[in-house]
Amino acid sequence: MKVLLFGTCLVDTFFPEAGEATVRLLRRFGAEPVFPKGQTCCGQPAFNAGYEAPARAAAEHFLWEFDGDDPIVTPSGSCAAMVRHHYPWLFRGDPKRLAKAKRAGERIYELTQFLVHVAKAHEAGLRGKGTITYHASCHLTRSLGVREEPLMLLSSLKGATFLPMPDAARCCGFGGTFMAKLPEISLALADEKAASIEATGADTVTGCDSGCLMNIADAMRRRGTKIRVAHIAQVLAEGL
Amino acid sequence: MTAADRERRFLENAAIAAAGTHAVSGTGELLATLRRVVTADSPVYCPGVTELEKATAALFPVRAADYGAAAVTVEEVFGGVAETGTLVCSSEGGRAVQAGLLPSHHVAIVRRERIFDTLDDLFAAVAGAPPTNLTLVTGPSRTADIELTLAIGVHGPEKLDIILV
Amino acid sequence: MTHEQTSLAFRENTVRALEDSALRAAMKQAADTFGTKRADAFAPVADLEALRDRASAIREDVLANLPMYVDRFVASATRAGAVVHRANDAATAREIIRKILADRGAHRIVKGKSMVSEEVDLNSHLEAAGMEVVETDLGEYIIQMEGETPSHIIVPAIHKNRRQVGRLFADRLGVPYTEDPQALTKIARKALREKFLSADAGVSGANFAAADTGSLVLVTNEGNGRMVTTVPPLHVAILSIEKMLPSLADLPAFLRLLPRSATGQTITSYVSVITGPRKAGDATGAKELHIVLLDNGRTEILAGESRDILKCIRCGACMNVCPVYRAVGGHAYGWTYPGPMGIVLTTLLTGMKKSHPLVDASTLCGACVEVCPVRVPLAELILGLRQRKVREGFSDPKEMRGMALFGKAAASPTLFALGQRLAGAFWPVVRALGGKDVAGRMPAPSKTSLRRRLP
Repeated sequence: MKVLLFGTCLVDTFFPEAGEATVRLLRRFGAEPVFPKGQTCCGQPAFNAGYEAPARAAAEHFLWEFDGDDPIVTPSGSCAAMVRHHYPWLFRGDPKRLAKAKRAGERIYELTQFLVHVAKAHEAGLRGKGTITYHASCHLTRSLGVREEPLMLLSSLKGATFLPMPDAARCCGFGGTFMAKLPEISLALADEKAASIEATGADTVTGCDSGCLMNIADAMRRRGTKIRVAHIAQVLAEGL
Repeated sequence: MTAADRERRFLENAAIAAAGTHAVSGTGELLATLRRVVTADSPVYCPGVTELEKATAALFPVRAADYGAAAVTVEEVFGGVAETGTLVCSSEGGRAVQAGLLPSHHVAIVRRERIFDTLDDLFAAVAGAPPTNLTLVTGPSRTADIELTLAIGVHGPEKLDIILV
Repeated sequence: MTHEQTSLAFRENTVRALEDSALRAAMKQAADTFGTKRADAFAPVADLEALRDRASAIREDVLANLPMYVDRFVASATRAGAVVHRANDAATAREIIRKILADRGAHRIVKGKSMVSEEVDLNSHLEAAGMEVVETDLGEYIIQMEGETPSHIIVPAIHKNRRQVGRLFADRLGVPYTEDPQALTKIARKALREKFLSADAGVSGANFAAADTGSLVLVTNEGNGRMVTTVPPLHVAILSIEKMLPSLADLPAFLRLLPRSATGQTITSYVSVITGPRKAGDATGAKELHIVLLDNGRTEILAGESRDILKCIRCGACMNVCPVYRAVGGHAYGWTYPGPMGIVLTTLLTGMKKSHPLVDASTLCGACVEVCPVRVPLAELILGLRQRKVREGFSDPKEMRGMALFGKAAASPTLFALGQRLAGAFWPVVRALGGKDVAGRMPAPSKTSLRRRLP
């Protein structure tokens, strides 16, 4: 099955390893990921800051790059939620693009959604290692409604121990431009999240959104904590 | 809901809300319960209007002429709600609803047949022509305004006893 | 005392709040306690989602027909013997109330908790007219003594710990110091009981108003709301127009949602339904009841794209779960209403010019949306206000230029890839320009981007 891979701007620029792991996972489960080379960003940074026109420009480009009927897979709950929930609003006055936007919303999968519902990867007996805890990022959990899939995958890893985090779905303080506009609060929230992670005693913390993981990694560094921060794609691809 | 279920739920929920609960049958048991729950030398206010209130007339040696001067109010109230363990006090028929508010101990007598299953049932019954004041009372007066620590009896009664007759 | 709005200094306010460790501990404890209690209270409710749908539909109906319901309420309340006043703005509301009180020679006023009275800054106006105004809700009593404003709409003194309250009472009331909440509550009970019994008038708010019967509904725990509305001979209630419910029979749905959402109680200790003043043959109720219906911009909000905020029933659940509110508390928001609902309401009621930093005070994490009992789409409303902020030119010019450039790059793969490479090449410069709190928190771009790694 051909799938279009939306890497996301953050993974593309800062965390390509998470993108490569995504590709390995997709191939392992029989999908043929294609990376449309002209892809950029879903437009969320502008959209969440209230800039409709630049967000629409990004969205329009996304719809062009990811045109067609193939499923779209992305290693980000937040970007998938942007496409599914906010693209239709951006094109509310443009029936032709609105139809495309709605269709894209139906075609897009956050990685763990695809791995569980299409690839049945949680039944594949993947191998893992060490102790792993999980941060349930906001848009993934509450906007996209993906709550169980990451847990199903992580707890299926042979050789790894999954340790639940208290208040796993509490915001880490990233919030896209929030981090830049109110850095003091952002830091305070990230610090609180880091403390929750430390309390689990896990050696790895994972999640489905690079933005949050970046923010968490920074808080860890400031606290001098030696817990590894890795995208769920990397954690799952380790044992392949 | 059967009558027995309704009564059981009413009493259970009232107890959860920190009310003292008593179920009695007949005037004799009512008086015995009142003797037990009301401190002997407290000034008691009782309107003495309903049959059950009249039946308690001889019981309290120290009577307060009005609720403002009383330590305890003993009264029959309009009804109750099983869903929440709530007492319903009404100003209907010239009742002073605040009589159950000012004294530090409120003893409410409710007749079994006056218990509504749910809040919907209560409001369906009264919403057409509500009295001047309809007050739902669930447990004693409470606050958690200081460090969210529960404190009982901030302005209203510190103690609420319900006697189901 | 008059309280100036400080929403424009939101960031400075948050920096100060974050440094206050006692405040942070109190906020964290409060949010955690409320969060747990709320979840426990809703756990046994069957068909919670259907209940929320129903309550949401009732509130939507109210907004869709608000002028009709307000007129109906006015007619019903008048028929029940109340005098209803309409106030278009805060100044009018304050003046109507002052005049009602002054005309009857009322000097000693006891007040029940009312966020709408905070919104119109009623106390300072009445005090300036020589009246003694005593807040009787324990939390409000504490902060009035301290000269502060509420930091939470349900528990106004949530930012104060027991030692601070103990010292305050010892100083102001001349009582021996204690930090036992039960003992402090008793002290307040005694002091306030005297106030109730000697008051000339009671001023309260209302949680709901039933249009069909003209009834006011007060949902309370302490009993002060009952005192204020039944003990003094005159009762003045102030409420905003959107508090309408079509019928008193609609109340149960809200009685099931409001206390559970607010404090995690199945129901509050008291729910008072007041229909008109004391009538012939009655032994309960104020002899005179005046109801002041406040608009203060709500009719305008109703006509705009943010109208759904008027569905709000003021339970405070959105603030208890908000990560930003949890971290900084209510005062940082700089006006009457804090947290997610406060961001929206403050911006709409006081204007973008006085409050625009607030619209950024959200990570858009959606926790508020998840708990709102009447399904106010808070995250969408905040997003809408951010768009308005940009449209109305209140954004940082640098940000505006940056976003325009972002739009161009996002639509052009060549420009985007160039930007990526430039950011990588000049990362130390970007880092310095972005500041240690922003770019300093990001790793350097990867030497080889994903697009260059994949075939």
